[in-house]
Amino acid sequence: MNKVIVSMDNISKSFPGVKALDHVKFELRSGEVMALLGENGAGKSTLMKILSGVYTRDEGTMEIFGKSYEDLTPKQAQAAGVAIIHQELNMCRHLTVAENMFLGREIKGGISLNNSKMQKEAKKILDDLHIDISPDQVVGDLPVSKQQMVEIAKALSINARILIMDEPTSSLTAKEIDDLFRIIRKLRDEGRGIVYISHRLEELSHIVDRVTIMRDGQYITSGNFKDMTMDEIIRNMVGREIKEKFPRVECEKGKKIFEVKNLNAGKMVRDINFSLYEGEIVGFAGLMGAGRTETTRAIFGVDPKDSGEIYVDGKQIQISCPMDAIRNGVVLAPEDRKKDGLCTKLSIRQNLALPNLDLVCSKMGVVNSAKENALCEKAVKDLQIKTPNVEIDSGNLSGGNQQKVVVGKWLARDSRVVIFDEPTRGIDVGAKVEIYNLMNDLKKQGIAVMFVSSEMPEVMGIADRIIVMCDGRITGEVMAKEASQDEILTMATAFENKGIQSN
Amino acid sequence: MNNKQQSPFKKFVGIRGMGAALTAFVGLIIIYIAFGIINPAVFSGQNILNLLRSMSKYLLIGIAQSYVLITGNIDLSIGSMVGMSAMITATLMTGGMNPILAIVIALVACLAVGVVNGYLVGKFKLPPFIATLGTMFVARGIAYMVNGNRNTDAIATGVGKDTADTFQNCFYYGKTLGIYNTFWIALIIFVVFFFILSKTRTGRHIYAIGSNVDAAKLSGVNVVSTTVKTYLVSSVCSCVVGLILCAQAGMGNMEAGNMYEMYGVAAGVIGGVSPLGGTGILLGTFAGAAVWQTLENGLNMIGAQVGIQRVVIGVIVVAAVLLDVVVRSGQFGRHKKK
Repeated sequence: MNKVIVSMDNISKSFPGVKALDHVKFELRSGEVMALLGENGAGKSTLMKILSGVYTRDEGTMEIFGKSYEDLTPKQAQAAGVAIIHQELNMCRHLTVAENMFLGREIKGGISLNNSKMQKEAKKILDDLHIDISPDQVVGDLPVSKQQMVEIAKALSINARILIMDEPTSSLTAKEIDDLFRIIRKLRDEGRGIVYISHRLEELSHIVDRVTIMRDGQYITSGNFKDMTMDEIIRNMVGREIKEKFPRVECEKGKKIFEVKNLNAGKMVRDINFSLYEGEIVGFAGLMGAGRTETTRAIFGVDPKDSGEIYVDGKQIQISCPMDAIRNGVVLAPEDRKKDGLCTKLSIRQNLALPNLDLVCSKMGVVNSAKENALCEKAVKDLQIKTPNVEIDSGNLSGGNQQKVVVGKWLARDSRVVIFDEPTRGIDVGAKVEIYNLMNDLKKQGIAVMFVSSEMPEVMGIADRIIVMCDGRITGEVMAKEASQDEILTMATAFENKGIQSN
Repeated sequence: MNNKQQSPFKKFVGIRGMGAALTAFVGLIIIYIAFGIINPAVFSGQNILNLLRSMSKYLLIGIAQSYVLITGNIDLSIGSMVGMSAMITATLMTGGMNPILAIVIALVACLAVGVVNGYLVGKFKLPPFIATLGTMFVARGIAYMVNGNRNTDAIATGVGKDTADTFQNCFYYGKTLGIYNTFWIALIIFVVFFFILSKTRTGRHIYAIGSNVDAAKLSGVNVVSTTVKTYLVSSVCSCVVGLILCAQAGMGNMEAGNMYEMYGVAAGVIGGVSPLGGTGILLGTFAGAAVWQTLENGLNMIGAQVGIQRVVIGVIVVAAVLLDVVVRSGQFGRHKKK
């Protein structure tokens, strides 16, 4: 058995009003990938922030490589060999790869920087990992996946022995994920310990050796991944049996509600034609960067359209800004909730009310507090947003609850079409099911639902009809019940330059 | 922690931004009493009246800058608009024009600057620092040009003594209910803009843009028109300050309002308006303007020289923000146990 390199015991941590960790234990051995699992707000990030010295624990003991630490500072943690690869990458976008890797510990030759030496060392590490990036490339020009590789290389350059990866695959394509897994396996085989945090349970089997499960700030269990079933893992994470991961509701398909004709907007939205009907959820599948998000943005009027017609209930409408779309009953819950969905510094109430101010304001534009509170209380209740009250900053909520606020903004209105762009990204199993149920409710009310998702199982499990996009074009359409994953993948990779023509 | 069971007092204190505003008010009282102990004349009725009158200018430009700061932008052209307003009004009045008409023309000129600012920043996405730096020079240039690069004569020479007196009393020397009109004007403007910012749709949109402009846009907020509105508020307030300065001097001074945009930033920041946008309330700006004026007035009364005054004021601005940062990081970062 490999030796234990991190041992944390009885760790507790409180924040004002919340007990984030309650006597948690955690153990990591060398040469293993340890999955740290739990719902949003289970305390995974807090625990890892304690391990990396960002937070100080209230009580408990912590040993890294056999040495016990009282008050660990980030600097000490780094010296002990702990490195975090963040979910939101921490890079200076305007600096080069080598400059980023040596940030804060630049190699000097005399009084000036020794750039060639830094470049050489950076190149060596990148080559070792078989990463095809030049050290003098500017980080901001690299795709997210490559930036992540740079961050891993940076961790290795300071000889990190313990790597913590927080949701490393959430914005990668399938191919990039394979690449990342290859690197993770290599690091593991070199004897490093890797903590792997992810909500994508299906990918665990490719990479994980052991799992530790947390719930509500408490340690639940740990063990070899092979000895556990997926149902067991989910039950331990959620604390209850989830009967159906993909609850489906059958509805009668009704009349046509929404139609997009010949929509073009830049390179990523080319000649898009589709319709949405009453009583169905239409899934939009495809690889990352297939143009689905761009399509939703063009429809919603965020980005300008080159051409195209949009019809709601058979009537043609003009959408040149989001306001036009909202007025015509077309709404969008955007993909990136921190960037596009939420005003994180404002309260839940202000966020929920923002697009609905026309409903709660008098003709003069004065906000009616009673109406506003009623609207917010209803949204919090309907969506089961877990919060003490609606006045706290929306940025302080867990991912799943933030997502509910983003969605909740739009449910107070009588909309005809609701577009969800990756509504379940980065949120836990339980919250996912709640979002699915929400979409099902809309479907039952006869509202057209457009559901963009890169997670094949959920598109196939929730949508009634699936439209596949690739490279800015629609490359196929199937009924979910008749579709196979291979079939969808084939359509999702029908690139023009490969000579494969769409239907 | 149920909302409905909170007492009205708790609810009042719980309003976001209220903490910083109340801190500024407490600071104001401490500063005021401290100066009063050194020189009891600070407590005299006449001094209080003077204080209220001279803080009105800072309150108005504080409002102007706060509106813009809350959207995450800045307006460097405020001082120049003040000068432009004073010069246009004075020049037209020395030429014999009816004061009301002169005021309207000055207002239109200031609003024009605001519209340009708003479109450059909101529509063409210019960095607000650069866009308003440009209009700052342009507006100051116009202030110089309206009377051929020199200060105006006394306004009484054009409109006659009676009209000039009425104008000057209305904006500066006259009193209503025992308090100078200047303060009443500022107070009315304050109440109106306080209401707009805290109770109306436009106000909500301003906070939303300052917090996250992308999310605001995707929620159907018209970013361009809201940004323009904030710069127009800035124009209106600046114009009124120009009128006050013109009434005070009885003439137009080309350098009127120099540096005022920075005083506006100071008043806002002392009162808890974040230059990063999204936070702050006008009550804080009120306190900030009062702190600013009390310091200036108090330092004068105890005989401090201008140099020392500047140093103290500079230290206070930084200290106010530092305090805010320390309090916040204490809350989120190094908290151990309750």
